[in-house]
Amino acid sequence: MSSLDTPAEVPRPRAAATPAPTTLTWVTLALMTTASVASLRAAPTMAVYGLACVFLYLVPAVVFLLPTALVSAELASGWNGGVYRWVSEGLSKPLGFLAVWCQFAMTIFYYPSLLGFVASTIAYIIDPALASNGPYTAIVIVVLYWTGVWISSRGTKALAGLASWGLIIGTLIPGTLLVVLGMVFLGQGNPSAAPMDASHLLPQWTGLASLVLIVNNFLSYSGMEMNAVHVSSLKDPAKEYPKSMFLAMGLVLLIFILPALAISWVVPADQLSLTAGVMQAFDAFFSYFGIGWLTPIAAVALISASLGGMLTWLAGPSKGLLEISRQEGYLPPFLQKLNRYGIQQNILVTQGVVTTVIALGYALIPNVSSAYWIFSVITTQVYLIVYLLMFAAAIRLRKTQPDHPRGYRAPALGVLCVVGLLASLAALCIGFVPSSQFGSGSVWAYVAIVGGGLLILGFVIPWAFLHFRKPSWRTAAAVPSEGEQA
Amino acid sequence: MSPTRFASEHKWIYWGAIVILVGLAITGVIRYAYVTTNAKTQSKANQLQQELVKAGYPSPDTDTVERLLGTDGGQVCEEPGNALKTALWKIQQSNGAAGPGQRPVISDTRAVEAERIVLQVYCPDELDDFDEALDDLKTDDTVRR
Repeated sequence: MSSLDTPAEVPRPRAAATPAPTTLTWVTLALMTTASVASLRAAPTMAVYGLACVFLYLVPAVVFLLPTALVSAELASGWNGGVYRWVSEGLSKPLGFLAVWCQFAMTIFYYPSLLGFVASTIAYIIDPALASNGPYTAIVIVVLYWTGVWISSRGTKALAGLASWGLIIGTLIPGTLLVVLGMVFLGQGNPSAAPMDASHLLPQWTGLASLVLIVNNFLSYSGMEMNAVHVSSLKDPAKEYPKSMFLAMGLVLLIFILPALAISWVVPADQLSLTAGVMQAFDAFFSYFGIGWLTPIAAVALISASLGGMLTWLAGPSKGLLEISRQEGYLPPFLQKLNRYGIQQNILVTQGVVTTVIALGYALIPNVSSAYWIFSVITTQVYLIVYLLMFAAAIRLRKTQPDHPRGYRAPALGVLCVVGLLASLAALCIGFVPSSQFGSGSVWAYVAIVGGGLLILGFVIPWAFLHFRKPSWRTAAAVPSEGEQA
Repeated sequence: MSPTRFASEHKWIYWGAIVILVGLAITGVIRYAYVTTNAKTQSKANQLQQELVKAGYPSPDTDTVERLLGTDGGQVCEEPGNALKTALWKIQQSNGAAGPGQRPVISDTRAVEAERIVLQVYCPDELDDFDEALDDLKTDDTVRR
């Protein structure tokens, strides 16, 4: 499908004072990408698998991280704008909208669970009893979320700094500490709590459950491409974005694998299970060294990393959604308005209202809280559509625009895309296998819930926007957004 | 991250974040509950050790168990059946993602059962709520031991 032919009668979004062009260094963008994807939050969960956690991270890295990172590096080095632009150029503009919509929509359900974790971690610090208090959780989620919206609406530079420092303080420093302490533990002659021999390199094979574990781990790396929407903020996108992506890839792998291994050296898997919580696992680790008081500091670190990651998610997909909507008129003019910093404030605020309603349900209605995990299945399914479209677009762009200048050309792009497509399809299929939380309910009921959610969030809503759009909604070039200044 | 006009304009946001995080860290360190070990914590830890061994688990380090669970099970026993706590627990029974790729998996049977044994020893009154909240959980042996 082509874009609308009718010349737009351009409605004027609020005339903004021209925002200063934002520049980001490639290192900052790499830190933002890493903050979006990795933190220490998953380390105790994966430490339970011992040495097999290396396999559980490396296999997905080969079949999903590598294709995602290299393909998006090539695409971003050739086309500004992120996933919406790549898919628009490679496939079609409505599919470009679908891609960025899916990237945007799935975050709406992500924030309440992320901030629910932050609320429980703050409760761990100040009063653990608060963790089970609904109004407390609701207040923390709402306050932190809207603070994030406010910071995001002040420009990419403001959040880039916070996200980068969130990663450094919240993940890189404590992660290094965990690894150093783990090495000290081994260096003192202690045997590793988890067996580190070749027979423990692979995870236990129990059929479907193991397949679910391995394939679902592909999604550990989802989000690597998201910050490409800021590529025009780099001084030399064609050269700097690939560098940024390679640095992020290395950091993500190190953050995921090494701290989980370090915990598994010190705290036995069964002992991790005894304490049933992320902070309790860190407590067990630090207590071994007699420095249990570092646990609340680690909690603060996790909070800052989580909030830094949230900021990057607030700014990324909504910016992509804005850009394609302004060009093609896919969203009503109200949602295309920019504030004086050139930020898509109304998209953020509308998203905030929806997120607040969902978050209040999560915090205050027990039936919603106990079923909330199902949203993470649905939203990850929706996110996989983005990858399917991205890999398909990359293959087509190599064929249809082989001479388009690219700062970086991924080696064996066709193979990378096929591997990425197959990995995404496998993850999409495995998403229909009921997880532990569903208990002994009917498999078909599970398939219907997940499939229904995928259909509504991933297809019906974006179709409605495309169907009901009006020619007059196209506002591109009316007001340059941040990062687009010449 | 060199100083820029934007960075200086937003300096007070950075300072606000630093003050809040440092405040939280100080509060946390002050409030951090050092569990004093005594005869009762030791007795509970030994009881847990016996129950775990009986259930086929390796014998845990009782010193660590004492430090973490004290006499009352600490946070493990704090309303384990509460809707928000179980919601978070269910969300965390997931793959290795730390971002929006977080998705549920089929949990390890023994990991779930171990927590149940802790409740049995330290706070048997909470066991019914825990069982009710996590009733029907489908698990498998996914951890190589």
